[in-house]
Amino acid sequence: MAGLTSRPQARAQLAAIARVRWLVFVHSLRTSRGALELFSRIVIGSAITVGGLGGAVGWGAGAWYFVSHGESEWLALLLWPIFAFWQFFPVMASAFTETLDSSNLLRFPLNYRAYVVLRLIYGALDPATVLGGLWLLGILIGIAIANARLFSWAALVLLAFGLLNLLLTQMIFAWVERWLAQRRTREIFAVLFFLGIISFQLLGPMLSRYGPRSTPALHKLGAEVSPVQRALPPGIAANAIAAMAAGQVGKAAASLGLLGVFGIVIVRVLSIRLRAQYRGENLSEAPKTQSTRKATEQVKLGWSVPGLSGPVTAVLEKELRYLSRSGPMLLTLITPIIMLLIFGLGQARSAPGGFLQRSPDLGFPVGASYSLLLLTNLVYNNFGADGGGIQFFLASPVRFRSVVLGKNLAHVTVLALEMTVVWIGVSVLFHPPTFAITVATLSGVLFAVPVNLAVGNLLSLRSPKRIEFGTFGRQRASQLTVLVSFGVQIAVFGLAATTLALARHYREVWLAPVAFLLLAVFSFAGYELALRRVDRLALGNRETLSSELCR
Amino acid sequence: MDVPAIVTEGLTRRFGELVAVQDVNLRVAAGQFFGFLGPNGAGKSTTIKMLTGLLAATSGQIQVLGLDFAEQMVEVKRQIGVVPEGMGLFGRLTGSEYLNFVGRMYGLDRETAAKRAAELLDFMQLADQQKKLVTDYSHGMQKKLALAAAVIHGPKILFLDEPFEGVDAIAAGTVKAMLQRMIARGATIFLTSHVLEIVERLCSHVAIIHRGRLVAQGSLEELRAGVEAQAASGSEIQEPQAAEKLTLEEIFLRTVGGQKSAEQELSWLG
Repeated sequence: MAGLTSRPQARAQLAAIARVRWLVFVHSLRTSRGALELFSRIVIGSAITVGGLGGAVGWGAGAWYFVSHGESEWLALLLWPIFAFWQFFPVMASAFTETLDSSNLLRFPLNYRAYVVLRLIYGALDPATVLGGLWLLGILIGIAIANARLFSWAALVLLAFGLLNLLLTQMIFAWVERWLAQRRTREIFAVLFFLGIISFQLLGPMLSRYGPRSTPALHKLGAEVSPVQRALPPGIAANAIAAMAAGQVGKAAASLGLLGVFGIVIVRVLSIRLRAQYRGENLSEAPKTQSTRKATEQVKLGWSVPGLSGPVTAVLEKELRYLSRSGPMLLTLITPIIMLLIFGLGQARSAPGGFLQRSPDLGFPVGASYSLLLLTNLVYNNFGADGGGIQFFLASPVRFRSVVLGKNLAHVTVLALEMTVVWIGVSVLFHPPTFAITVATLSGVLFAVPVNLAVGNLLSLRSPKRIEFGTFGRQRASQLTVLVSFGVQIAVFGLAATTLALARHYREVWLAPVAFLLLAVFSFAGYELALRRVDRLALGNRETLSSELCR
Repeated sequence: MDVPAIVTEGLTRRFGELVAVQDVNLRVAAGQFFGFLGPNGAGKSTTIKMLTGLLAATSGQIQVLGLDFAEQMVEVKRQIGVVPEGMGLFGRLTGSEYLNFVGRMYGLDRETAAKRAAELLDFMQLADQQKKLVTDYSHGMQKKLALAAAVIHGPKILFLDEPFEGVDAIAAGTVKAMLQRMIARGATIFLTSHVLEIVERLCSHVAIIHRGRLVAQGSLEELRAGVEAQAASGSEIQEPQAAEKLTLEEIFLRTVGGQKSAEQELSWLG
């Protein structure tokens, strides 16, 4: 132990970790991606600053208004949104980002206190804390301007409220981190998050449908919720300030004490997780129990599809199995129905002018187009989910043409399934699409699909990007792919919409399928040409494929 | 005269300014258990990637079983098995689905693929994990699965990049026995490993690559004789050491010039 003259100092350890993080940041700027990342951070940081300062002014004005008008208890109305933002934003953001792996810190001789301090410092640097802190500062200034005597007490209460928020965020995050450590729970979380995002789109139609009738119900709900909110941190903090403003020192102190009790409970619950982490708990997904080895078991036979070679069938089977095991991807299958439901709710309201209300016969084409758009996620980056598996494709004796063909057949199968679901959905929500519209839509799809598959196959090999179905935020294609696919969609949908509009205008709907079938001949020829280029392209892009997908 | 399993001539790979592999002339006879060694960053993985079609060579030629790799790539790939550095697994398939898939991709019929998949899972002691997704396997289990996938079609040449990394001692023993059985039946195995004891025990022939260049190639005895001859002509090797039979580790260290760093002493450590 030569040279080790004293126990490691927590302050030196914290300084060392801060320096490492700085060096990681500096080294990240060596690449163009790192420089772009810095640029993004500057843009986001500026937005946060503007949002924070603007919010602080707004919140300050609100606080000034309530306090100067003797309605300090209404401060709860300002503190609740801050509280909600502070708690929910980091959790929502965790669906997009990697969580902090505390095990990296544990290999160093950190004592428990230093470990807790580090965790809290990490937490204190997130945008929610910065914004929440700025907004509370705005409220404090608003209160001070309205009633200078309240400044000290309000500062104490808001500081306690801010600390409580910081600890509660850490507590929630520590537990969410525990759940997100497992693939399955991570997927469930991603699905819930996705559903949450979609449900926001229901708000508009719901409000337009029930809005005028909901005011008394909202009042009743407000009356019921009020006592509950008073017993929770934002309500308690507002009561503490309001009581002091009214000269009720005892009540104000009791409210602050109650905030303290909340703080103690939160610290206790947080410390359960932190202590477990500090002890080095293992959240890996390695098998927990090893059952005794069984004798040779029968392995199910692979699929057999008449007319398809073994390798193409194997790729088709593999692709469909992959999709069936991805919660978020399965969810995209029902998304067109959810969107139709949204349109349906909007239409149920008697307000005129709804697109599908004016043209209900377009329900099926719109749903089919939406399904095709969703499919571009897969088509334009069709090796993204394979990850390291690309090495197998590169080393196997199967031509890439067969691999791509198998993948495209899987895409077409998914699209066919989606369109069936959409057809049934349109029939239930609106009315069954006419035969002419059904044929026109199907022939339009016959034109649009080969174009998308052809361009998608080429882009998938030229600019691949690793994606993970189970995690949101890791399903994005490269910027180039996004740009090109956007252009293709504009061209294809523009052409299809124009054809359909002209056919409807001249009341000759049958013209549309004829035109689409003619276009389909060209798009199939283009697909075949692209398929012929696939092998050469894959060989030429071996390094890009391996380096991008095996990260 | 037997056709050699692998022959390379002037094999070179550049990454921009960096020459990762330069003018490598390899010759691996059929039926050899061939160890390909080198320090970190020497060019081992780059070479094995070029030999298996994962990476294009900048220049030079590769012949596998008498076939020109560039001209008959698909035919060559049909006759080789590979465990690449990244293992090439599909995480969202179960173990049995993956082996079934690989078998079909190598042209096995459904029944044969399923039968061999079951046998391999049992052999690799993965039978009780066959319904678990590959992504949920431990690293060692994934390695065993990758090995099983590499042999499911009965390849004539097996390329293994660090096959024993992360594999437990029991499974390693099983795998070694399997590899030796393959050699006995006439297959060729081309293996890279940092564990020189394993290479010494398994391989009959060895090549050493250093800074992208092939610096030694031959049977273990030939390499040993070469190093000893060099030692006898030089003065840096002490007599008692030269008199003993050199281990592969000693041969390796002297060939790549690692002797000095191995003998360096960190006075403050222990």
